[in-house]
Amino acid sequence: MMLSRIADSLFWIARYMERAEDTARILDVNYHMLLEQSAKTYRLRWDPLVAIVGEQERFPEFYKEATAQNVFEFLAFNSDNPNSIVQCIGHVRENSRTIRDRISREMWEDVNGLYHRVSRFRPAEEIAVGPHRFCNSIKFASHRFHGVSDDTLPRDEGWHFLQAGRALERAEMTARIVDVEYQKLYEGLAAGSQPDNHQWMAVLQSVAAYEIYRREYHSRIEPERVAELLILHPQHPRSIRFSIATLQQSLRAISGSGADSYANEAERLAGKLHETLMYDRIEEIFARGLHAFLVDLQKTCRAIGEHIARTYFYYAVVE
Amino acid sequence: MLRDYDPGPFFDEMFTPDRVPRPHYAKIYEELAGMSVNQFEERRQLADLSFLLQGITFTVYSDGRGTERLFPFDLAPRILPRPEWDHIERGLCQRVFALNLFLQDVYGPQRILKDRKIPRSLVYSCQHFRREMIGLQPPSGIHTHISGIDLVRDSKTGDYLVLEDNVRTPSGISYVLENRAVMTRTFAHAFHSHEVLPIGHYPTELCQILRSLSPRGVRNPVIVLLTPGIYNSAYFEHSFLAQQMGIELVEGRDLVVDCDIVYMKTIRGLTRVDVIYRRIDDEYLDPLAFRSDSVLGVPGVMGAYRAGNVALANAVGNGVADDKAVYAYVPEFIRYYLGEEPILRNVETYLCSEPHQLAYVLEHLPELVVKAVGESGGYGMLIGPAADSAAIADFRDRLRASPRNYIAQPVIGLSRVPSYDAPTKRLAGRHVDFRPYCLFNGEKVTIVPGGLTRVAMQPGSLVVNSSQGGGSKDTWVLKGTV
Repeated sequence: MMLSRIADSLFWIARYMERAEDTARILDVNYHMLLEQSAKTYRLRWDPLVAIVGEQERFPEFYKEATAQNVFEFLAFNSDNPNSIVQCIGHVRENSRTIRDRISREMWEDVNGLYHRVSRFRPAEEIAVGPHRFCNSIKFASHRFHGVSDDTLPRDEGWHFLQAGRALERAEMTARIVDVEYQKLYEGLAAGSQPDNHQWMAVLQSVAAYEIYRREYHSRIEPERVAELLILHPQHPRSIRFSIATLQQSLRAISGSGADSYANEAERLAGKLHETLMYDRIEEIFARGLHAFLVDLQKTCRAIGEHIARTYFYYAVVE
Repeated sequence: MLRDYDPGPFFDEMFTPDRVPRPHYAKIYEELAGMSVNQFEERRQLADLSFLLQGITFTVYSDGRGTERLFPFDLAPRILPRPEWDHIERGLCQRVFALNLFLQDVYGPQRILKDRKIPRSLVYSCQHFRREMIGLQPPSGIHTHISGIDLVRDSKTGDYLVLEDNVRTPSGISYVLENRAVMTRTFAHAFHSHEVLPIGHYPTELCQILRSLSPRGVRNPVIVLLTPGIYNSAYFEHSFLAQQMGIELVEGRDLVVDCDIVYMKTIRGLTRVDVIYRRIDDEYLDPLAFRSDSVLGVPGVMGAYRAGNVALANAVGNGVADDKAVYAYVPEFIRYYLGEEPILRNVETYLCSEPHQLAYVLEHLPELVVKAVGESGGYGMLIGPAADSAAIADFRDRLRASPRNYIAQPVIGLSRVPSYDAPTKRLAGRHVDFRPYCLFNGEKVTIVPGGLTRVAMQPGSLVVNSSQGGGSKDTWVLKGTV
């Protein structure tokens, strides 16, 4: 019988690992894309990167300007930013430590080794060589984490809590990437002109969707198609629809409910959201307003997270 | 690695006083003597890396951000020939039986107090004596499920002596098992050329005892290990044992008591708990019964224990048996309860609560070791020969103010084992003690052959506690005679 505290930790281990990976992807791709742009044709803006990870309020507490260095330092290393990559890895490790008797030895050694590796990175040195080396190592560390857990954990509730945590975090992160990138690319433009290919390519690359886009659409890169791929694609593992489908499967596996029912509010919300993502067309979403759609979606994701916690993790004190 | 090795005036486990390797050390002597510094260093780094990756570390908070340090592990093993071990084993079994009988008695009929074999005032004034336990019969009458009994070898006589008993929540067995695992990897050849008795069955033995305590006649009782959490210095051991036994590792907040039944909070609701292997001290176990400010414990767990709805290992109140003043009476317990002479002797001990003994201690402080009776881990100690006059004066005042709180012992010249000295890059003699782990199921005592050999890493030091910079060694008990 799985302790609530253990389920809670597994869920958050996966969320923090995904958060670290997504932050690394966003930093890596955008950093290089922005440096390629000439300052004359396009105003360099680093602050949207901060907005993607939802830290636009904390950032000004530490830095006057959103320069390349500051943003990289803040998102990757800052120890006062609880969502910096290094802090996320720290959370993954602390949570793993409290449940190390319930994860495989391989998982623990992998996570613990990652923590020690990350602690050895020197921020000044990494900032000097640029984010690629650091970000790439985080990206693959996350892949490795899931490879190791897939190959060593039994497929019990614990494994499903890991999947659920990762899927929920990824859905929310992808929603923010799409939302922020759209606003940035349109706001930064002179009226009537189109953002060039490179920027959309960067968006696609940050969620590992560039090759899929090329194969699926064979066309030049069009903003609507990019959004369609990232939000509605049924098979791309980083699309929102795919993530919500995974989340729904994991929640059902945990509760044991059938395909035409739901056992709790988290499942109901996930199921409802999945229906929308299955049957809506991207044109309909644009017609209703992309921004509003994505804001709503993030709200639903947060509500699902709260209901998972209420159903499985927390015990109310009854006097 | 052993060139110019000096056994010194102490009993050296590897060498006779004429610097001839003892027969049971002959093979490891050859292996170590033929090894270059580089080869040794390479293995040492391999071993350290393995401990680091597994997170077998403890946290030092002195620098403000929490640095993780390795428990020093020394690669040169400590070896015991079979006859020596058999003698130790017999002595420990005897002692565990006597300690358990004492606890049954002192919380039961108190025959020993009525027969005046130990002063009632001494027992009742023990810091860890628990009135709440009086009249409470733990399952199968077992109080000391797990004991760690510290032995030292006196250089003068070569005899093993009991230095102290640990029958509350003794720790260290995980290092015994992990040291062995690392040793078989880094010193594979030397290990396989010896016939070393295996120790890997410890978790199975412990788990069987825990299962047998279940108050419910169910096939799969729910057993949990209760830990104070990740900030406890023994946390690694808690999670290690839980994993090895396949039982749940819980914190106080995972448990709840309702109508004298203990439950754990799971994703499917409350699940009844039958047996708690608790690694939390008595004081923190139940804020309703003991310290009310404890947030680590489980409110109401003592009620469930008293009602017989949950078993605790070890039993509550065991501290009265490993109090350092009560220790002086353990040989008497053996005679009183078992009608036998002690197989393993105590270290000579002066009870400062006895006026004439106190007078002797006050006169001879510079030659003695003084220990606070309720402390462990090497805290609250005065080592006379190493202390300055201010420290001695300080202890003199303390002894006069509260004599019951102190005992004194002569300084024992602990035996030594060759150990790696990093600054000079060679093996040098370092003092060791030895803690075997005894499991008691009510009928017999099981001791996995070996135990934790703790080593004082500093030249000349006699303090082996990990909290005071001590390290550890793998301990081999050889099968058959050499």
